Amino acid sequence: MKRPLIAATMMLAPLSAQAQEVGEIVSFVSCPVYRDTDNGRKSGCWLVRDGESGKQWDVSQSPHKPNWDYAVFVEGRVADQGDEFCGAPVLEPVRTSRLLDHRCPRHMLPPEGYPGRVFIAPDRYLTSLANPPEFEGPFGPRTFYAFFEFDRDFLVYQYSDFIVQQAAYWIEAAQPRRLVVTGYAATDPIEVSGMELAESPEIAQSRAEVVVLALSRLLPGMEIETRWETGSQPIDVPDADTIPGQSQRRVEIAVEF
Amino acid sequence: MKRVGQPRHLRFAKALPVIAAAGALAAASAYASGGESAADERWWSPGEGRVFPEVLDYENEHGTLRTLLVGGPLDTEGHPFFEPISSNGRACVTCHQPADGMSLSAATARERWDATNGDDPLFAAYDGSNCPTLPQGERASHSLLLDRGLIRIQRQWPPAPRLGEEVVPDFTIEVVRDPNGCNSGAEYGPENGWISVYRRPRPIGNMKYLLAVGFNFDPKQGLALPRDPETGDYLSGNLMSDNRAFTLKEQMDDAGLTHLEMLRELTDDERDAIKAFEMSLFAAQQTGRGGAVDDGGAQGGPAVLRDAEPGELGSIGFPVWGEFAAWEEISEEDRARLTPEQVEFRQSVARGARVFRDRTFLVSDAAGVTTQMGFGNPFRVACKMCHNMTRMGNDVAPGQVDLGTTTLPFADHFGDLPLFRITCQNDPHPYYGREILTYDPGFALSTGRCADVGKITLQSMRGLAARAPYFSNGSAADLRAVVDYYERRYNIGYTEQEKQDLVNLMSVL
Ligand code: HEC
Ligand code: HEC
Repeated sequence: MKRPLIAATMMLAPLSAQAQEVGEIVSFVSCPVYRDTDNGRKSGCWLVRDGESGKQWDVSQSPHKPNWDYAVFVEGRVADQGDEFCGAPVLEPVRTSRLLDHRCPRHMLPPEGYPGRVFIAPDRYLTSLANPPEFEGPFGPRTFYAFFEFDRDFLVYQYSDFIVQQAAYWIEAAQPRRLVVTGYAATDPIEVSGMELAESPEIAQSRAEVVVLALSRLLPGMEIETRWETGSQPIDVPDADTIPGQSQRRVEIAVEF
Repeated sequence: MKRVGQPRHLRFAKALPVIAAAGALAAASAYASGGESAADERWWSPGEGRVFPEVLDYENEHGTLRTLLVGGPLDTEGHPFFEPISSNGRACVTCHQPADGMSLSAATARERWDATNGDDPLFAAYDGSNCPTLPQGERASHSLLLDRGLIRIQRQWPPAPRLGEEVVPDFTIEVVRDPNGCNSGAEYGPENGWISVYRRPRPIGNMKYLLAVGFNFDPKQGLALPRDPETGDYLSGNLMSDNRAFTLKEQMDDAGLTHLEMLRELTDDERDAIKAFEMSLFAAQQTGRGGAVDDGGAQGGPAVLRDAEPGELGSIGFPVWGEFAAWEEISEEDRARLTPEQVEFRQSVARGARVFRDRTFLVSDAAGVTTQMGFGNPFRVACKMCHNMTRMGNDVAPGQVDLGTTTLPFADHFGDLPLFRITCQNDPHPYYGREILTYDPGFALSTGRCADVGKITLQSMRGLAARAPYFSNGSAADLRAVVDYYERRYNIGYTEQEKQDLVNLMSVL
């Protein structure tokens, strides 16, 4: 599993659009640009521009990539990497959330000599039924966290689907009494690139329900209580990849014995 | 490559019935070297009581299609797949013919029409004609089956419950155009609770691959796979264009009540017998223009399918169409015993496999893969991104993707198909907007979601040579037309060589 690169204290550092040092977090809204590099499958680049600093960034490593029809809400940390892949310095870890109320003109750049990245399957890769993971006890109370794109309830491939799948395998081995699944929504407005962004309150419930549906299929007969809460605050857990906003948009699966 | 009389521009098809029929006859005699008896032998009529051999070969324009029946031979007398247990004289085999890779080619439908003057149970009014309300003796009333191999599929509207849950559609559907009469009038159409679409029979055989489950999560839906309430097994989600059936049992019950117009349900014994047959049958091309497809180190043909493990993802296991890797380099010994044309053909197939896997192009607006699952829109992939199951070329995950084959503006124009207007009531469709014009809403007819309009479940890619035309609505007349569709749809820029290599590859599957 991916280790967070950044110390936990950094997570709580204030957001600053000007921050450009390695590890600093930047967040803004931008129309995405697709750069059509070809280094095999899924090797295209996504670029965004921070209107305030004027800087362009490579956000291709987001687990949920942009759709060129819509603006994206970008949250990422300045990485210690140059612009050699895509033609812009890299944000990583990074999240790009599609804002479907904000249309953008489709924009595509040619490779212009940049290679893009060879696709490497991420660490959070579903395990096949033929090779299920094995977990050994002793087992005790534990909480799993699954994360979401801004204002969405979709368990995205090679990120949250993996977390829920692995949690289910662990729970199956642990045989707990029951699960409590709580959905959270970041409903407190924040200002980003002159826009006020807040998640809708209903998303907290639908996130919880999606995870409960997935778990009920993976763990038939398991007792599961569904809860939801708005006004979500950041927490410090590894799978949020040090992005505070990401940690707010979550579902908690509390395993009770 | 192309058969005489198989209309390329189907707009003209209705004007050309005589020529088309004559062409079909020519094709039939070309195959049936032994004259009429061979043509008769090719066609399996219900209730003949023939023995289904363990190995059965039929010629087609690309070579030979072989079916392999594990545990065969099978005496088909009394077998519910082969007996006319219906009220219309049909059996399952009527539309799932061994010579046609267990599907039914449009050419075969035309041969049957000519051989029986339109009297074969295949042409049953219910779904073997454009609509039962049309005069049944006339060829024009069966033009969709004769020109493009299409069977009428009547779906309940609003949809029946799915996985035990009520389906409440988030769109309305209106009929813009009803050229055949089966989407309007007193009995038909959404207002009367029915929607008719027209689809190609999907091949049966190799079913373990279509039922295989590689992972317990469906990335396109962002959900764990549902389970079979009877067995607890995960469901592959890879049956039928619109995935209205999850299991072979659900599928055959549906087929019995519709295609066979059965007045009773299948019995458990009948279901078991049909399932056993479907699960023991493997079908694939066995010879092609380069000779046997399992010669010279290649691993084509049905025997490998019978023995291999299903459900493998090509990108982490055995590469998709890696069967033909040995033909990349052909040994001196092999060259000595093959003709130069065979050598060239084998190398073209091997290149085609690489083009299929590695030659990327930019896919955009393909709901199912470009929408939610995180890949972004657009993204650069090769054919095997969607056709990713080792040895079968269907999708390891539930394979509902919108390629545009049935929906405007990407679908070819067909004046003889009904056209529907979908109006999304909540969120607009991510690419088509709030209003969508479609010939076949596909998966949305099962889920009731406007986001699923135009999604069609990826099929098996085996036995293609025997079962033209292609795509769920028969819009690609031959294998070249399949490649041409992708070229147009995604502006790929394949070279002529790459196109031919892909066609040759597909002709030996
Ligand atoms: C009148 C022609 C016809 C008859 C008769 C018929 N089928 Fe089919 N079959 C079809 C068509 C058309 C489809 C595709 C339907 C769709 O995609 O909506 C199909 C699909 C299937 C599939 C799904 C394969 C896949 O890859 O998704 C199976 C299995 C099948 N049929 C089995 C049967 C059985 C068993 C019977 C007899 C009980 C039968 N069929 C009778 C036309 C027919
Ligand atoms: C974005 C996903 C995707 C990609 C990429 C893709 N396909 Fe498909 N393919 C589909 C879907 C979905 C269908 C079913 C469409 C239908 O039947 O209407 C299909 C159907 C087919 C069929 C028809 C099979 C039949 O039984 O009629 C063939 C052949 C085929 N594809 C070949 C290819 C080739 C060759 C390429 C590369 C040029 C390719 N596909 C790339 C999704 C894809």
